Amino acid sequence: MEASEARIASAADGAAGRRRLLEAPALFAYAGAALVAGLLLAFWYSPVDASSMGFSQKILYYHAPIAWAALVAFGVAFVAGILYLRSSDLRYDRLGLVGVRLGLLFSLLVMGTGMIWGQAAWGTWWAWEPRLTTFLIACLLYAGYFVLRSMVDEEARRATYAAVFAVIAFVDVPITFFATRFLPEGLHPVVIRPGDTGMEGSMLLSLLVSMLGMTLLLAALVRLEYAAELLKDEIADLKTALWEVGQ
Amino acid sequence: MSAAAQFSAILRKDLTRELRTREVLVSVFLFVMLSLVIFHYAFASEGSDLTFFTGGMLWVTFLFGALLGLNRSFAQEKDEGCLDGLLLCPVDRVTIFLAKTAANLVLLLAIQVVAVPVFTLFFVERSYLGDLPLLVAVVLLADLGICALGTLLATISMNSRARDLLLPVLFLPLIVPVLIAATSATTAIFAAGAGLGELAGRLIFLAAFDAVFLVAAYGTYDFAIGE
Repeated sequence: MEASEARIASAADGAAGRRRLLEAPALFAYAGAALVAGLLLAFWYSPVDASSMGFSQKILYYHAPIAWAALVAFGVAFVAGILYLRSSDLRYDRLGLVGVRLGLLFSLLVMGTGMIWGQAAWGTWWAWEPRLTTFLIACLLYAGYFVLRSMVDEEARRATYAAVFAVIAFVDVPITFFATRFLPEGLHPVVIRPGDTGMEGSMLLSLLVSMLGMTLLLAALVRLEYAAELLKDEIADLKTALWEVGQ
Repeated sequence: MSAAAQFSAILRKDLTRELRTREVLVSVFLFVMLSLVIFHYAFASEGSDLTFFTGGMLWVTFLFGALLGLNRSFAQEKDEGCLDGLLLCPVDRVTIFLAKTAANLVLLLAIQVVAVPVFTLFFVERSYLGDLPLLVAVVLLADLGICALGTLLATISMNSRARDLLLPVLFLPLIVPVLIAATSATTAIFAAGAGLGELAGRLIFLAAFDAVFLVAAYGTYDFAIGE
């Protein structure tokens, strides 16, 4: 009883701290500035691609950074998974959940932008191109992460399984890429390999700025979502405490 | 009891149990045979040449067949409470994993020993006897990957609410690299008689996949099987 009341009293402080995190817009502002700068550089500074892709190559400056951010997000889930398995601290489980959720979102964006690019450059919405295929498989793989979570009821067990799966999945993604890239299916060769052309310095700068922006955006989103997850836990705890006081 | 003795005891227990009921062997074998018949009607029309699809057909069948078996491999343990007994024994969790993987591997191989000749009779026009050692190598390496990863994931899904639904969702996307390598290698053997030089890359890839996931399972199995 007293313990519950003490929890309720102390919760206000912790929640206030987390709310500040939720409201902190600075990281989003930096991310936005870098992304806009990258966009401006891409269109006004970088030359139009000399290959047959031409103007449509501009989407690279968003497509590649999004792909990078997706992999970083899955990497966050991988590290959080290992940390959870070592410590059994549920906060790492929440971080892993946030990493996979954002990674999945960015992967879908990778496929979306990739399909738009494919349509513009090769005249087809979908090609079984290694990178695109890898992201498709990654999407299916990490969608399974949520199915797994929804099917295990006990909190600690769910967190453990999710962590194990996040670790295995992250190991599998580069292997899948290698397999789709270097082991052509059947006897059909992989014909289309975009982006293999060397990149000029002015293109690289735009790409790096966009990449920085996307990484910052990911960091801002991870922080926001993570704080929101912790607040959710706190609310659940408080509800339990209030119920106990009411008894 | 040494780890090797524990390993063989668990393996023997699983195989004895299976030989008494023959649940998995019979039903998975029938499933594989039925799939081949279905493939014939799904893909073959008058005079069509299925040679380029043989590897894919074979491995899709084995993957789904293996899934059925993997689901069962822990279902009885869980339902009959045997797993609790097993976990109470002073046995290293990794030994349990290895024994379970080996049991699944033996069952899958037993089915393949019959299914591959039948498949050859049905769909392969070329005689590939000279390349048989290569085919055996591909099958062994791919099976090891399927069983190692499958056993790990079956352990996880066994404790979930709808385990038979969860296992394919987790297992299939992870096993895609094995499918790609095994399919292209098998098709190459069936279609053209590819030599070792041509297939070496894929064999090494399969071996590397097995090694990576055996290590990954070694590191995570304690957590997967629970307390």
